[in-house]
Amino acid sequence: MTTILKLDAVSRVHGEGATEVTALNAVTFTASAGELVAVMGPSGSGKSTLLTLAGGLDSPSSGTVLVEGADLATLGNQGRARLRRTAIGYVFQDFNLIPALTAAENVSLPLELDGVGVAKARAAALVALGQVGIPDLADRFPDEMSGGQQQRVAIARAVVGDRRLILADEPTGALDTETGEDILRLLRLRCDEGAAGVLVTHEPRHAAWADRVVFLRDGVVVDESGGTSVDALLDADRV
Amino acid sequence: MIAGWRLPLRIARRDALRAKGRSILMLVMIALPVMGVTAADVLIQTQDVSSVESLDRRLGTEAAAKVSYGGERVGRQEQGLDPDSGASGGDVGSMPPPTLATVLAALGGERRGIEVGGSYLSVKTDKGSVEAGGTEVDLEDPLARGLFRLEDGRWPRNADEVVVNAALAQRGPGLGERIRFKIDKSLGGSGTEVERVVVGIAESASVKDWGQVAGPRGSVPLPVRPDASERYWLIGGGPVTWDDVLKLNALGALVVSRSVISDPSPAALAADRALTGESGIDDATVTVAILVVVMALIEVVLLAGPAFAVGARRQARPLALIAASGGTPQQARRVVLATGLVIGTAGAIGGVVLGIAGAAALNPILQRSNGSWFGPFEVPWPHLLGVALFGLISALVAAVVPAWIASRQDVVAVLAGRRGDRRPSARSPFIGVALVGAGIALAALGAGQRQTTSASFIALSAICCVLGMLFLVPVVVVGFARLGRRLPLALRFAVRDAARHRTRTTPAVAAVAATVMGVIAFGIGTSSDEARNEATYVPSLPMGSASVGADDGSGDPVAWGPYVDAVAAELPDARIDQVRGIPYVGPGGISTSIGFTGPDDTPLLSSFSSNLGSGVYVYDGDLPEFIAAIDGFDAAAAEKTLAAGGAVVFADDDRPVRAVDITVESYDQNGMTDEETTAGEKNVPAIAFDLRGRAPGTGIIPRAMAKRLGLGVTTVGLVVNGATISKAQQKDIDERLNSLSPSGFLYVERGYQTPPDIWLVQLVLGGLGAILMLGGTLTATFLALSDARPDLATLSAVGAAPRVRRGVAAAYALAVGGIGALLGVVIGFVPGIAVTYPLTSQGWQTCSAQSCFSSSDFQPDHYLAVPWLLIGGVVVLLPLLCAAIVWVFARSRLPLVARLS
Repeated sequence: MTTILKLDAVSRVHGEGATEVTALNAVTFTASAGELVAVMGPSGSGKSTLLTLAGGLDSPSSGTVLVEGADLATLGNQGRARLRRTAIGYVFQDFNLIPALTAAENVSLPLELDGVGVAKARAAALVALGQVGIPDLADRFPDEMSGGQQQRVAIARAVVGDRRLILADEPTGALDTETGEDILRLLRLRCDEGAAGVLVTHEPRHAAWADRVVFLRDGVVVDESGGTSVDALLDADRV
Repeated sequence: MIAGWRLPLRIARRDALRAKGRSILMLVMIALPVMGVTAADVLIQTQDVSSVESLDRRLGTEAAAKVSYGGERVGRQEQGLDPDSGASGGDVGSMPPPTLATVLAALGGERRGIEVGGSYLSVKTDKGSVEAGGTEVDLEDPLARGLFRLEDGRWPRNADEVVVNAALAQRGPGLGERIRFKIDKSLGGSGTEVERVVVGIAESASVKDWGQVAGPRGSVPLPVRPDASERYWLIGGGPVTWDDVLKLNALGALVVSRSVISDPSPAALAADRALTGESGIDDATVTVAILVVVMALIEVVLLAGPAFAVGARRQARPLALIAASGGTPQQARRVVLATGLVIGTAGAIGGVVLGIAGAAALNPILQRSNGSWFGPFEVPWPHLLGVALFGLISALVAAVVPAWIASRQDVVAVLAGRRGDRRPSARSPFIGVALVGAGIALAALGAGQRQTTSASFIALSAICCVLGMLFLVPVVVVGFARLGRRLPLALRFAVRDAARHRTRTTPAVAAVAATVMGVIAFGIGTSSDEARNEATYVPSLPMGSASVGADDGSGDPVAWGPYVDAVAAELPDARIDQVRGIPYVGPGGISTSIGFTGPDDTPLLSSFSSNLGSGVYVYDGDLPEFIAAIDGFDAAAAEKTLAAGGAVVFADDDRPVRAVDITVESYDQNGMTDEETTAGEKNVPAIAFDLRGRAPGTGIIPRAMAKRLGLGVTTVGLVVNGATISKAQQKDIDERLNSLSPSGFLYVERGYQTPPDIWLVQLVLGGLGAILMLGGTLTATFLALSDARPDLATLSAVGAAPRVRRGVAAAYALAVGGIGALLGVVIGFVPGIAVTYPLTSQGWQTCSAQSCFSSSDFQPDHYLAVPWLLIGGVVVLLPLLCAAIVWVFARSRLPLVARLS
């Protein structure tokens, strides 16, 4: 399988002196095309930091972050921004849609930011909204939609334009169980179609949708499920 | 390029519609100044009557041209398009003046013309007399059509009939009544009253509130002398061309041609430019105007700044999302700048539209209270484009700093629900100090410059100070927050919140500071100017004394008996003395100037003040009491010198003077002869008194000396002593004196009186400052309250009483207003002190052929008066007023809201 995301001995230290906090400590992590990797761990374990480093929103104190073989440190701000427009999709816990834009406009946002024409970007957005099952809500504003619908829009935004890396930070945290399952099913489907996905979650039940589970504690990878099947994890959760 | 702005503009437009309250606030901040300037500009342009607009007023509706001349002998004239705007040449020359026949002959073709004459009349009214304009023209002639508009009655048909306008009819003689009027001798008239019948009420095309009388030839007794009245011809027929104008100029006439003014030929335009120049505005004025516009721009930007800062803060999360979706910092900046573009465009267009509408509504109201007819309603679109551009630029500049800060925010922190502000630059305070230093240097430079260039330096200094202050405000706000440890909760919360949200607080505090700076600088300027006026005031009489003058400039003798009676009737216990002297204008209109020069031919006195008809008094055995009472005047020594045949002279210094040269220059002020007569005496024994700043004239001579010099001695006025005259009594006496002669008046010496317009200016200044300060403080406070809703809700959730929220709100207003006012006062002293130098420095000198002496010999170089009352009001009262208003209007209860909302 092609490696889409690779973190090599990545550390991230916040503050200095007495206020120094190590969020990630020499973490090595990969996510390949067609693979959904769940990242689990208690609060403050470094899950979200891992995601922001993977998306190029933050820079590591040491180590290397590679997305599709490109070292983010060498790309510069503009290069990292371009990568987020074309290759990386984010899904957040609290949807994070821009309230002033319609569902279609929120989805087409990365394309428009990349200079794609409005009509072409809208067409791509409608396709993405169709993939997440809400093509008829294209012209609604976020505050006219339910939480589940908003999160579907967020996933459509993360996958629009053939993104190959989807970073999801507790995407079901603000949803009811049934809607949450729907969202995870969509993520899984996108990965099955060839994207690499990283899913940060507290819930083993949600991690069961992943191909692999990585456990973090105090910024260090303490365990990795490897080939444990989804069913086995689900069984463990039931126990 | 445009594609890159499409998405930001869409977000900005939608965001503006979603956050209506904030958008309206920003719109008001931008639109209000645009609206005010637009309305003022439209009204000024409407009020201003241009050459083309005034053609019908001056020529009527039918005439092709108005041809005029002046003097008994004329010379070739040179004029621009409109001789009223620019002409040179001679009223005096070798040619006889043109006649209607010579004018028509020069123009050629089938033309006719009529004569129009005008002068000032003294018209008897129900209560006395008023001055009015008199016009002699055949009003029924087609060429006079449009000069007057008949409202009632009919046009006069013979010399016994006239029309008057409504303004005059309201004060006395109305339709069908008899009207009596005359032209005073002082205006060249006969002074003989004539009586006419008012047969119609007609409005003049140019004058509204000032009384007007018009009738055919012979109805108005115009002065015989051509230069004592306005006489011109209205010429009919086809267009009078520029070549025709030149022909008539050669005859010594000036021409207002309808066709030349409304459709000038290139030759006419070239001649106009050559005569009137390109522009009367000098570079210094342009520089100051530009700097004033920049200052206004800064003020508007600062007032709108907090709203934009809060708007950008509210956009923090969408901007972080854009960054997470691959947006660049430049794209994030564009989103905030697009808000400026959207709000600026709407504010500019809205402000211009509302300004025009406001002007249209105000125009008739102003017309009612104005004495002249306005021009047609005029919208100066090129000006308004500039004003609208000003509004747009204000909004864009107000959005620049929030946009820059928004593009630098910590995306991860914002997405995690934390504040993403970066630490402020450590260099900012140093930049601020450097800019304020540059401002002080420029102010010092401006203080030492000539008056024309100093204004530019001082205005530039004010801008530097404001910009420097912008960089210093965060430091001061943080300093106050650190000092706030022991303050009560509300104040502590307010100063800490202000410090935490510096992007919102800085423009608000700076807006208040810039306003206060302007008020203080202007206040110091006007106070110092007033101090100079007070210090240089020259009283005419001892305090409390009064004088009566009746000099109408004609030189005709005045019978003073009735004047004495008029004063005595109101002030029975007062001593009324007749003052004898050499009148400025003697019998026959002979004007006399008497000069005293000391040793080495130096002038002795630079200025004096007198309300009597003379500056040289005559000793007839007793000294005028009002001179004897002057501090520094030795009456005994003066009488001794005068009795011995010498002269008493007044001087600006205490140089010993034993003899003076006396020069007498006389000329006929009616211009009947151009010759000057000179007489005088050299080395006249004299005594000089140093009466710097309080001289009532130039000197006193004995009657015998006056006779030797051929000077006529007469009573030049009355001096009233021994009575306290109230303002009401003064008004009553003035009315009595006015009934004797229009020139009769009573002057009461009350020392220096601050002119009422100074109070008005200070009141307007204080009011404007208060409005701007209140606007800035209240905007920032309510935006802060809106921003701090989660914190305040939490405060109330943990048990804070409802009044705590009000307290926080009031404390916030106090902090913003107080810090801003304090900074503004400190910085305002810089341009304030600087402006006192060009404003109050003594720029005048008195020179003779041999030497000069300056007033600075006995007056300080410049005056500085600090308006402490104004400063106290601005620093203490206004912030307290702001706090009180906020206390009253702030809501005390709020629902608990999510911190991430």
